[in-house]
Amino acid sequence: MIKHLFKLIWNKKKQNFLLITEIFVSFMVIFAVFTLVVNYYQNFKQPMGFEYDRVWVINYQSDVKIKDKDSLDIYYKTMLGNIKAMPPVQGVSFASSNVPFSTNTHMNNADYKKVHVNRVNYYTVGDTYNKVLGMKLTEGRWFGKQDDAATVKPTIINQSLRQQLFGSGKAIGEKIGGEGSKRSVIGVVQDVKAKGDYQEAGLAMYERIDTSSNDGRGRILVKINDKADAAFESRLYKLMASNSNNSGIEIEHLTDKRKTMNNTTLIPMMILLIVACFLIINVALGLFGVLWYNINKRKGEIGLRRAIGASGNSVSGQLVTESMILATLALIIGTFFAIQFPLLNVFGLAASVYLVAIALSVIFIYLLVLVCSLYPGKQAAAILPAVALHEE
Amino acid sequence: MLKNYFKIALAVLKRRKFFTFISLFGISFTLTVLMVLTAFIDKVGNSNYPDKKRDRSLYILNMEMTGSKNGAMTKGPHSFYFLDHYAKSLKTPEKVAISSMFDFSSAYVNNKKVPINLKFTNADYWEVLDYDFLEGKPFSKQQVDNAEKVAVISEDTKKAYFGDALSVVGKYIEADNIKYRVSGVVKNVPITQMMMYGDMYLPYTVSKNDYKKDQGFNGNFSGILLAKSANDLPKMQKEYTNMVSRIKIPDKEFDHLYSFADSYFTSLIRVILGDGPNSGVSKLVIGLSIFVFLFMLLPTINLVNINITRIMERSSEIGVRKAFGASSQTLVYQFIVENIILTLLGGIIGVVLSVIVMQIINNSGLIANLNLSLNYVVLFCSLLACLVFGLLSGVYPAWRMSRLNVVNALKAQ
Repeated sequence: MIKHLFKLIWNKKKQNFLLITEIFVSFMVIFAVFTLVVNYYQNFKQPMGFEYDRVWVINYQSDVKIKDKDSLDIYYKTMLGNIKAMPPVQGVSFASSNVPFSTNTHMNNADYKKVHVNRVNYYTVGDTYNKVLGMKLTEGRWFGKQDDAATVKPTIINQSLRQQLFGSGKAIGEKIGGEGSKRSVIGVVQDVKAKGDYQEAGLAMYERIDTSSNDGRGRILVKINDKADAAFESRLYKLMASNSNNSGIEIEHLTDKRKTMNNTTLIPMMILLIVACFLIINVALGLFGVLWYNINKRKGEIGLRRAIGASGNSVSGQLVTESMILATLALIIGTFFAIQFPLLNVFGLAASVYLVAIALSVIFIYLLVLVCSLYPGKQAAAILPAVALHEE
Repeated sequence: MLKNYFKIALAVLKRRKFFTFISLFGISFTLTVLMVLTAFIDKVGNSNYPDKKRDRSLYILNMEMTGSKNGAMTKGPHSFYFLDHYAKSLKTPEKVAISSMFDFSSAYVNNKKVPINLKFTNADYWEVLDYDFLEGKPFSKQQVDNAEKVAVISEDTKKAYFGDALSVVGKYIEADNIKYRVSGVVKNVPITQMMMYGDMYLPYTVSKNDYKKDQGFNGNFSGILLAKSANDLPKMQKEYTNMVSRIKIPDKEFDHLYSFADSYFTSLIRVILGDGPNSGVSKLVIGLSIFVFLFMLLPTINLVNINITRIMERSSEIGVRKAFGASSQTLVYQFIVENIILTLLGGIIGVVLSVIVMQIINNSGLIANLNLSLNYVVLFCSLLACLVFGLLSGVYPAWRMSRLNVVNALKAQ
């Protein structure tokens, strides 16, 4: 039966070639869309790793000219202390400009023995950063006063980086980094999805702010209780602005920043989905039209089959199977190309993302072709032999 | 003859309404997407507010410094010092506008936050660019030199801060706890005009950062060189390149400095795709062409499929025409013309659809102050796209049709 159908398809190879091309290209489009969707969904399922509710970010520029190290330390401590003294404030910390949900990214490398890891997010943070953001330590401890006198700079890494550098081995106390910039790992934290719900957390390392330097103090994170309102925000703003070194002050809420960040992922995604959706409707209508026309043209053949005793179901079954074979041929070619993505590791996504996407696209294309060929098949089953053969 | 083809085409379209619908749906939808894309690129690259003198301006946006030994690299806008000291030393430019990239800040009115994007400029900025002043005037060189606390604000800021007040010139607006006297109100600039966008424009001298003293090359400023006439542009560009090649980099880490004075579009692309001496324009062209090709591939194949189906339906007509001596060429010509008529029809629907889509995008407020619109450039591009689309999807079916065997074609009926 199948062999016979192949023969029928081969006899009309020119026209079928175009149909196969069309299904193949649709498959590739669907595959691209599903890859994105599956990737975002897998990231979405991961926990956030921190609490963004009731956390505000103060952006500011400052031009501090204090040269003496101790005075500088005191200057910044006073600045934090003044904010902390306001009643609704529960916690406050300095941070580098790459706070969660910001578009700023700082990257660095990390080395451990022979392992070299690129693209590690690099955060400079204060001693209370983890409390303000509610981050969870899985091993070791966070930065504290005891690090003031440390000879080797302490660092804290996230779970993903720990996995890459140490595998299941010991992490605490190990030295990472290159010559002259050795860091000692003192803690491991849960991954933080700093670029929104739909982006992967990536690798991260946290460094303590150098108390005698201006660096890593571009943002202030403030955890507030639920009594904080707009009037408080304006008071906080006044407090920051009253310092004559500060300018360009802006207060943002992490909840709003999260929405904005998610939108930068979701809106292009939505546009892509809408465009893909129209493309598919277009293809579906086209397929439907072509199959329908083909069946109309084969009235004679179908009439003959009916006349020698084939049932309506077997006629429509034959036509549907024919379309499914066409789809299978296209999908074999399509899968061949799609499978190259995980094999060559093109965009650095996990292989599982591609495999799930391939499986979903195959199912989708089969369903599409099935739906498009069902109605023409049913129509063919309704052909009466007498009428069909009379036309010939 | 064309008139005849036109009549035949319309008759064919009316015959199989379902197929006509599929074809028109595919064509108009594809063109809508292409048109919105063109309108967007056109808006970003070709807008003439507020830089109306674009034909005689060169833009200096980002610089890049690399160190070949240690692999160090830094990329970003220039410092005020760099532009003031080096770009202003050139002889060809008539004026040099220097302005900071916008900085976020905010003001509070009755405990309500008004986000304000601050932008620091020099006095020439207002002469190089032609902002539309709704009231008042820009600040002068004198005011900049005296570091007077004056501000030019945008229409949006005026509305958010002062409400429905009729005239606000001379009133005070407070940002960062400092009161600035409003000197003028300008029409809003869309954020797609990255270099000119801002809600509040201040003299660079009132900034708390001391721009004059800091002699580093990296900073937060961009510059616009205005030539006396469009003919001077190549000369000015050359002068700038020569000047940059003579600059000694103070930072020992770096040994190469890339800074370019480009036309507006090139300068924008350089920010996104630029890499050392390459501007990235070719990358963009290749990337866009691949996208457009892939995007048009599917509808084209679909249309080819439908067209072939439709010709087969007309095999008897073709058979008769061939039997009476019509050459293959005539038939191919006829079919392509028919197909172009079909695509043009789809194009008209596409134009209507894209106007609707653009209105939706403009009203949704996804991008601040963006106002997409159809203009001659966009229309011309879409007409071109229509023709290409029509030809692409018409040639292969027409070729198949012209090769139909007369006897077979006539027998089919």
